[in-house]
Amino acid sequence: MDPLSLLRGLLDTTEDAARALVGRERIRLAVTGLSRAGKTVFLTSLIANLIAAGRGARTLPALSDATGGRIRRVFVVPAGTETVPRFDPEAHLGALAADPPRWPERTEDFSTLSIAIDVERRTSLGGLLPERRLTLDLIDYPGEWLLDLPMLRQDYATWSGETLARFRRGVRAAAAAEFLAFLDALPADAPAEDALAKRGYTLYRDALRACRDAHGLRFLQPGRFLNPGPRGEAPLLWFFPLPEGARGGLADLCARRYAAYLDDQRSTFLDPYFSRFHRQVVLVDVLGALHAGEEAFRDTGDALAAVASIISGANWLERLLGAAPTRVAFAATKADHVPTRARDALAALVEHIAFGARGRAAQSGAAVSCHAVAAVRCTEDAVARLEGQAVAAVRGVLLQDGRGATIYPGEVPMKPPEPDFWDAGLFTMPEFRPPRLDPAGTSGMPHLGLDALLAWLIGDLL
Amino acid sequence: MSGRPTPRVILDEGTAPAPRLDFGWEVQVAPPVPPARGWSTMALIGLGAAVLVLGFSLLEAGNFVAAQFAQAAWLGWLTLAVATAGFGLVFVAIGRELRGYLALGTVDRARAAVARGDPAALRSALAAWQAGLPEGRAKPGDLGNMPINAACALVEAKTLAPIAQDAAALGRAAAVQAFAVTAVSPSPALDALVFGWRGIRLVRQVAALHGFRPGIAGTVSLLRRVAVDAATVAATDVAVDAAVRGLLSSRLAEHVAGEAAAGAVAARRMMLLARAADEACRVLPR
Ligand SMILES: Nc1nc2c(ncn2[C@@H]2O[C@H](COP(=O)(O)OP(=O)(O)OP(=O)(O)O)[C@@H](O)[C@H]2O)c(=O)[nH]1
Ligand SMILES: [Mg+2]
Repeated sequence: MDPLSLLRGLLDTTEDAARALVGRERIRLAVTGLSRAGKTVFLTSLIANLIAAGRGARTLPALSDATGGRIRRVFVVPAGTETVPRFDPEAHLGALAADPPRWPERTEDFSTLSIAIDVERRTSLGGLLPERRLTLDLIDYPGEWLLDLPMLRQDYATWSGETLARFRRGVRAAAAAEFLAFLDALPADAPAEDALAKRGYTLYRDALRACRDAHGLRFLQPGRFLNPGPRGEAPLLWFFPLPEGARGGLADLCARRYAAYLDDQRSTFLDPYFSRFHRQVVLVDVLGALHAGEEAFRDTGDALAAVASIISGANWLERLLGAAPTRVAFAATKADHVPTRARDALAALVEHIAFGARGRAAQSGAAVSCHAVAAVRCTEDAVARLEGQAVAAVRGVLLQDGRGATIYPGEVPMKPPEPDFWDAGLFTMPEFRPPRLDPAGTSGMPHLGLDALLAWLIGDLL
Repeated sequence: MSGRPTPRVILDEGTAPAPRLDFGWEVQVAPPVPPARGWSTMALIGLGAAVLVLGFSLLEAGNFVAAQFAQAAWLGWLTLAVATAGFGLVFVAIGRELRGYLALGTVDRARAAVARGDPAALRSALAAWQAGLPEGRAKPGDLGNMPINAACALVEAKTLAPIAQDAAALGRAAAVQAFAVTAVSPSPALDALVFGWRGIRLVRQVAALHGFRPGIAGTVSLLRRVAVDAATVAATDVAVDAAVRGLLSSRLAEHVAGEAAAGAVAARRMMLLARAADEACRVLPR
């Protein structure tokens, strides 16, 4: 920790304390999740349901009960002079409610929004004292970028070594065949030729894309290769991992660009938003990982552990300064993809898949809990007859053609499955149409388990 | 394991699109409706007594007029004119009282609409409220063609903010008077009397800014609201402002400066009262 960030940490801590004293806390809630985990939808539902709860609707019963019904008002904090785009819950809600409905696009840039929650004080004279105001700072971003975090602690050589080792194994090797062949053909002392750098970059990026889209893998770095963001592609990105023996100009060029890339990501994205927060929720699409096969399932766990080692692995000083989260919730998203009785298994499974990450969080002194949530509930329970057996399934309306369908999501194991589980083959969960929603969002939106998650995560602050 | 069914999608029969699911969410989460309180016993007794007094006196007057007609036509006409004029005035007073009382209902309706997030009801409540604003007050005008949050912001900026300023000015004026009276008055009891009277007047003045001219019933209902709001306003003012800005002056002054400070505190309360009254009469919650 350099002196400057120590000073900043001290100042932030002082500000936090002063705010707490006058009942004006500001809480940074980090919503972390790999790409397609459901962050954008989660935030949209969180905001809509909180605002509706502020109007007295019982959209979040567990949170209302945890706070003894003292929530008085919830509103979006008016915009100031931020340079960062604003998260637009109304637009997302409108798209979900439209006919035909649309889910949010892949998030391409980060955006922020703050929600203020006015609560009556806990004391018996609470009604007479002024209300306390809790401000929740939220941020949405492309999930791919999260994996740039572990890179911050690695130099180019280490990163290259680890990345290439991973790419020479399993389905990655097949997806990256062309890139690996290019590497093997490259002389160890290749000159700093931009044509080479760009060729290598293009092949590597395509390999990453294939891994993400065709194989459901998640531990893919660097993030901006997959999701270049609003500024698009820049020469900064023209690098790729080189084998250990590489010594020439090309290796130097790649190492310089690697450092520049990290600097850029750190100053624009990681430092402002991930250096300090109070509560964290880690969203995991466990079922998607399970359906994508053994390697994808493991890969998701590895990626989460790598991210957590940076985010939650705070040292004692950071903890002392309150820079580390005190509560971390792990949530399996899209819990509506399984019937009710399989949801506990989903929550248990997220506990295992996030085992590495969970260990880190617990080590750093944070309380940890696991949940299964559906930000927008899109299905109802049903029974399917398969091969003569009646099995619990879900029924929903498919996004593409609007036809109704019953989906049997398979068995959800309570722990990482045995090897023979994977013989069942891969499965792609179809996308569903959200239920009928009020585009104005006056009553929030139907969810599963969001209230219990929030009650645990921020209930003590209210 | 081979016996276990594998995940799969079973499409419904036919190709017709299915309707979107509906969980009845709006109904499920609708806030519990507070039980209607109905009429209290005291109110019923009061109303009954009023009906009896008014009804019997009407009947009595009718009989009396009839008796006078029996004596002489001109006497009958004269008695009828007197009775009509008298009862007419009484009914006008009752009507005015009722209108003043009901006008406060606009505020309730508008605020309930905000709480429910019901733009249509809010629009109509705002229109009714605008019609009742006093002459010369800047009005937001036609709100029909703008989004409801923009309309609320306009109402706030164009009308409610200036009213709040005027209310504060009224509060200051009342504060000066209260201060002056407490400074020269011979007894604390008289202080309290003057203070109470000035307070009620202030509340009615502020209500008039919002276009309400409450009668007696209206004033009582208004005072009840102000009392509720005054608690919050006073607490907000004293606790938060003091803590945030480090202004502990009024508390300190109370102890240090003794008598003169009591007047200052009284004056300060007038200003708070003006704010609380303004808060109680605003169509939109702050
Ligand atoms: N049935 C169901 N599907 C969901 C839910 N939440 C997310 N999904 C599905 O998951 C997809 C991805 O959700 P997003 O919120 O866009 O994911 P994200 O984490 O923001 O993804 P990136 O922006 O790419 O990082 C959506 O398009 C939905 O199809 C849910 O609660 N229920
Ligand atoms: Mg997103």
